[in-house]
Amino acid sequence: MSSDRIDLDALMAEVRERIREKREKGIYSPDVDALLRVPLPGGRRIFSDDLQDPLASLAEALDEEVEYDPRSRKPIVGPLITYARKAVISLVRWWMGAILERQERINRLLAAAYDYEGQMAPRFGARLERLEREWKERREREVAANLHSVYFQARFGGDEPVIRKQSEAFVDLFAGRKRVLDLGSGRGIFLQLLKDKGIGGYGVDLDPRMVAQCREKGLEAHEVDALTHLRQIEAGSVDGLYARHLAEHIPPGELIEILRACRRALAPGAPLVFVTPNPATLTVGAHTFWLDPQHLRPIPPELFKFYLEVEGFTEVEIRTFEPTEKRLREDVPEGPIRDNVKLLNKTLFGDRDYAVIGCAPAK
Amino acid sequence: MRVHQFHPVLAPGDAMSNHVFALRKRIRHWGFESFAYAVETKPGVADVRTYRRMFRDVRPDDLVIVHFSMGSEVIDQILKIPARRVLVYHNITPPEFFGGINPHAAAFARLGLRQLARIAPAFELAIGVSEFNRRALEEAGYTRTARVPILIDWDHFAVPPSEVVLARWKGLRTVLLFVGRISPNKRQDDLVRMLAYYRRCIDPEAHLVLVGAYRDQPQYHARVVALIERLGLGGAVAFAGGVDDPALLAYYRAASCFVSLSEHEGFGVPLLEAMRFRLPVVAYDAAAVGETVDSAAVLLRERDLAEAAETCAMVTERSDLREQLVAAGERRVQDFDPEKVAQRTREVLGL
Repeated sequence: MSSDRIDLDALMAEVRERIREKREKGIYSPDVDALLRVPLPGGRRIFSDDLQDPLASLAEALDEEVEYDPRSRKPIVGPLITYARKAVISLVRWWMGAILERQERINRLLAAAYDYEGQMAPRFGARLERLEREWKERREREVAANLHSVYFQARFGGDEPVIRKQSEAFVDLFAGRKRVLDLGSGRGIFLQLLKDKGIGGYGVDLDPRMVAQCREKGLEAHEVDALTHLRQIEAGSVDGLYARHLAEHIPPGELIEILRACRRALAPGAPLVFVTPNPATLTVGAHTFWLDPQHLRPIPPELFKFYLEVEGFTEVEIRTFEPTEKRLREDVPEGPIRDNVKLLNKTLFGDRDYAVIGCAPAK
Repeated sequence: MRVHQFHPVLAPGDAMSNHVFALRKRIRHWGFESFAYAVETKPGVADVRTYRRMFRDVRPDDLVIVHFSMGSEVIDQILKIPARRVLVYHNITPPEFFGGINPHAAAFARLGLRQLARIAPAFELAIGVSEFNRRALEEAGYTRTARVPILIDWDHFAVPPSEVVLARWKGLRTVLLFVGRISPNKRQDDLVRMLAYYRRCIDPEAHLVLVGAYRDQPQYHARVVALIERLGLGGAVAFAGGVDDPALLAYYRAASCFVSLSEHEGFGVPLLEAMRFRLPVVAYDAAAVGETVDSAAVLLRERDLAEAAETCAMVTERSDLREQLVAAGERRVQDFDPEKVAQRTREVLGL
């Protein structure tokens, strides 16, 4: 937070987080909710509350009878006032009747425009519902959310020792750091490596089972999505950030939002590492990348580097790793054929993953 | 030339009346004769003439400032007096708020809105005390408009705070304060509901103090009292009524947070008073509230009582946030510095 402007969004995010926690713990229970909705006793709601639910209130208003008691209770002059009022009422009753009739007509037209039950004409409601359902389904189908992930993990999921070996290469980048955040921490392999080296760190993951696994191992992990978490924490409160195989699961716009949120969350000069499949290797870009139906789109290394640079990170570099085992034989005599084979090997069977590494700008 | 000010009712402790008196003090200081007129003068207000004197007092080269916040039966008569005329608009609470609660107030609000539009041609200039009010004037058909904030006379508060009030409230952990007439548009009922959450989920000892006169809206007041009973909050909510300056000052000093859930304010003087007396402000963003507090308060954009309560709690508990708000509040009060506002008023009125 800067000294003269209060960051309302961050503050409100924290407020909402508190409320969520209280709901989870049962402190903010349904009966507290009921207290907040107790109507003002003794008559009609306040109009601005009616506006919150205008259709129901309209139905009520249409049924409301208007009552008027012309009797005056004042001493002595009371009967006279009562008589005068009644006289006026009888004089203007035709005019009042005409106004009433017009109002009645308006009421009927309005009521026809809306449903009597206080619902918007039902076809709109049904249409909206269908659209919402189809939109949700579309999102789910896009990432094959209906596929049972247990089977999928067993068939295609990464091998723990392999992941550990890959991750080891990056631990030293965080040497001496106190609070490194692992986005999409999964089974906590990287967190464990950090812990072994005495580096402070914690993770966030959307999958509650993964979070539970981490906690069993005594690692700190929270069940929350990356962007929400990055926006909730205080600016500059983490001094390192690692995200393995996260970027390929989200749309490009969200990735940029995450990078911006990272920049806010990272302390000046703190390192940031994103690991993702390397589509510059054709067997990855054209084949293995797509083995995970949850992968949305490959990100070429040059593009990822560009994202980081544009978002203000410094010392940005690309590091490729994980060479493909399969290779064309290069033991042919020196010459154009050998050069071509080498080029083919690089293009087809190059490194399978890459890391883009940068630093949060110094203040 | 003399300067005359008119408003149907002048009462002590009311922001609008205070504005009239503060302006009169300034105008006299600038060397003009100046008087205040009202149809009804409430006890506790001195040096106000009855509006009938205007027909004798006002000369054609005088300036008549008509303050407008409610319908009035005499306004047409007053506009017949030849003089230069300027309108100062303090806003009219939309009649919808009084529907089913106070038909009398609703009728007067409706009358006021109709009159406001009808009398537009009689004025050479119309001043809104906020941008929100100035826009309302434009919508009502006024062509020459200006925004000049309310003139606040801080000298009123150069008194020691009431010991009785301090003794009662100082030192309690959570005292949520709202200052404003008890009225449906100010939504004291929602403040009470918010307190129910606060006591259940944050601090079971929390108190809510509602400072402000409740005689004008007896029906709403009675219903809020019934709500307090129903929520089991008897003893946790205090209606202080209309209070004098030492007591008001003491409430600002003793409270932990000023909270407004008002849905309609033409300006919102108590928001600035709270800032002046170093109280952090949490306010629902409605009508002119946002522009009055600017960035010196926590503005609630959503009407969510749990969020409002948790925000008050954060402001109360977190000293860094509190200090930041208090500092921002003090700077914001400087923007309404009486000297600056008076100078601007003088320019606009051509005095």
